[in-house]
Amino acid sequence: MRIRNWMGIALGIVFVALAGLSAHAQKAGGTLVMLVQPEPPSLASYQSTSGPIGLMAPKVYDGLLDYDKDLKAVPSLAESWTVSDDGKTVTFNLRKGVKWHDGKPFTSADVQFTIMNVLKKIHPRGPNSFKEVMEIETPDESTAIFKLANPAPYMMRSFGSYESPIVPKHLLDGQDLKSASIANKPVGTGPFKFVEWKKGQYIRLDKNEDYWKEGLPYLDRIVGRFIPDASTRTAAMEKGEVHYGAYGAIPNVDVVRLRELDSIGVTTDGYAMINPVSLIEFNTTKPPFDSPAIRQAISLTLDRQFLIDNIWFGYGKPATSALSSSYAATGLYAEGMPNYPGKPDLEAAKKVLDDAGIKPDANGVRAKATLDLIPYGEDWRRAGEYMKQALGDIGIQLDLRYEDVPTWLKRVYANYDFSMNVNYFYQLPDPVLGVHRHYGTDQIRQGTHFVNSSRYSNPKLDALLESGAKEPDAGKRGAMYKEIQEILANDMPVVNLHEMKFLTVFNSKLKGHDASGFGAYGSFDQTWFDE
Amino acid sequence: MRNFWQLYKRNRSAVAGLIILVVVVVVAAIAPILFPQDPFSLAGLAMSPPGENGFLLGSDSLGRDVAAGIAHGAKTSLLIGLLATIVAVGFGTIMGGLAGYFGGKIDDLLMRTTEMFQTIPSFVFAILLVAILKPSINSIVIAIAVVSWPAVARLVRGEFLSLKNREFVQACHTLGMSDIRIMLGEILPNCLSPIIVIGSLMVATAILIESGLAFLGLGDPNIMSWGFQVGAGRTLLRSAWWVVTFPGIAILITVLAINLVGEGLNDALNPRLRERQ
Repeated sequence: MRIRNWMGIALGIVFVALAGLSAHAQKAGGTLVMLVQPEPPSLASYQSTSGPIGLMAPKVYDGLLDYDKDLKAVPSLAESWTVSDDGKTVTFNLRKGVKWHDGKPFTSADVQFTIMNVLKKIHPRGPNSFKEVMEIETPDESTAIFKLANPAPYMMRSFGSYESPIVPKHLLDGQDLKSASIANKPVGTGPFKFVEWKKGQYIRLDKNEDYWKEGLPYLDRIVGRFIPDASTRTAAMEKGEVHYGAYGAIPNVDVVRLRELDSIGVTTDGYAMINPVSLIEFNTTKPPFDSPAIRQAISLTLDRQFLIDNIWFGYGKPATSALSSSYAATGLYAEGMPNYPGKPDLEAAKKVLDDAGIKPDANGVRAKATLDLIPYGEDWRRAGEYMKQALGDIGIQLDLRYEDVPTWLKRVYANYDFSMNVNYFYQLPDPVLGVHRHYGTDQIRQGTHFVNSSRYSNPKLDALLESGAKEPDAGKRGAMYKEIQEILANDMPVVNLHEMKFLTVFNSKLKGHDASGFGAYGSFDQTWFDE
Repeated sequence: MRNFWQLYKRNRSAVAGLIILVVVVVVAAIAPILFPQDPFSLAGLAMSPPGENGFLLGSDSLGRDVAAGIAHGAKTSLLIGLLATIVAVGFGTIMGGLAGYFGGKIDDLLMRTTEMFQTIPSFVFAILLVAILKPSINSIVIAIAVVSWPAVARLVRGEFLSLKNREFVQACHTLGMSDIRIMLGEILPNCLSPIIVIGSLMVATAILIESGLAFLGLGDPNIMSWGFQVGAGRTLLRSAWWVVTFPGIAILITVLAINLVGEGLNDALNPRLRERQ
């Protein structure tokens, strides 16, 4: 039996038709000004996953698939797709008549080139996402057949235009990928064409009149503006000079004030594909954090809700496991993990420490350590200051250290010269893509950022991660990940703190910006102004 | 001494500055008695306005007592100001004294070095140093001293240049006194007044630089200071004004007081201004 997707497409068409008939008829035209913070280093989304690139590039590039608000895959450049029974062959039927912005036709050769020669080579996460892809056959111009070494169900979640943009072979083939001019002047198949980039000011994209989706996009133009100062961004949003700001472009403290205004809307939707979780990494090879007991005690002591309420102004959700609760949708999240209490439990924490023989000295100090803080802004410093106080109550005396980004990255991920470190990781739509890198022995990659810096190594867990990645059956996979989460909650190589909720602030006249599961990293083809 | 006080108290505003400064010093000294808890401790409800929930000057976003922060921060500010000034004045005096006394090649070498430091904008240089050395109380003191000593060196060099040809110094040479004894025993005491004045003003500048660094997030994260309070509270300015306002006022008053005292010292110690009324 082959899994057919024609049904989904048919339903989609009906939906679009119904939406067209509804009372809120979308209006075409208008210029959207959105905040892009900070200015991106390039627009090469095939090479870097940096946040500001993700805001602009997916408007220019399409992916093979898109993902709706429920994270269900929907057709994009691929009209339909089938996965063979053994999970080792994935066939994409590509849309016909699609043209690149420079007028050349889009074909299966572009898909083959993009995956094999670009994403598997120079994308930060591509080598992992497409690890099992051995080759891509292109029997004709509109068919791409992926041949896999092993089943890779997680791969089907990485075909969005933010994660895996399809790039034009004719502009990149034979060039040095890292210095191609397309990096700053992207040419895609998406709803908007790149027009100009005024350094330090804005990036301008204009409507693609030949877009393959009939009647879309609605907007005439998208301008991405760079405004370095946070309070100026807030003022511009308040005055209606900009219409859209995501990923904390407007600080939470200002959002609390702006959300009272009728002209401003606020949402936490659109971040499910990113799935960010804040956490503490420990150096598990050195005292004091070589003992699981002290790591458990820290998890038992911290008041996650306090952090959310006082630092992120109520936006966020306490972590309850190594996996974010948003994995509940795919049946991978397990509830009721030990050492993740609803309320801080100091007595339990002290008991764990006493039982492990980590006793207080005459001054009540059980252990001393330096806490490194992610240098991405004031919020993290406040979090560190809170932790210093809270952990002082159970006798763990902390010193705070705050360095610049390169020094910090080098200290934690290259020199391993740290004992505990506050950070946040994107868990992404599948644990293989976002979570495995944190715990697997093969992910102890000295010098690579945002991988297993705790140097936690557990052969039993490695085996589970390995089989979890390949298991196509959802039920069996859920059971494996439950076991994984139990191991991680007991060994606690990383204390997960909270599921972060980024905020998108928008002008109330702006509609349809949340059509994609990617939110701000979506294509914005269905975005329009109601005025 | 009585004569000095007579001269000093003619300047009313200098007396006022001295009183304020004494109050700040006393607050800093008795901070552990006034607020026995760690100023970073989460003392109660977050963002309480002044006078509510037992917070005299309100609490910040984590529920830390602003008043306790100001009292404990006074110690940090004064300590850093004094230490940095002592280091800068000490080093600047040695450099300037040697350059002025010996002249020639030594003067050239030392003064070109000094100029090299003076061409770099001082605050930017301080930021750079603290960022490289990683923020701690030692690195902040070093950074402030490094950007402050050239002014002292130039001043001392000028004084030494004008004094070294005076008759009493030449008399010392004739008597066969050693260079070190002449420098330390004869010339230095005669240029102490301007050094004291520039030193007192430098304390104020040092406090401002420390606050500026802490405001930019380059303060010692383990020590409470006024700049830290202002920096941490500035995002709350429109929702909790008291978090930044009171530490800001503390900085303003203290720096003003030190400047007034410096001005008063100048009036009292400068012989040319003694008759000024």
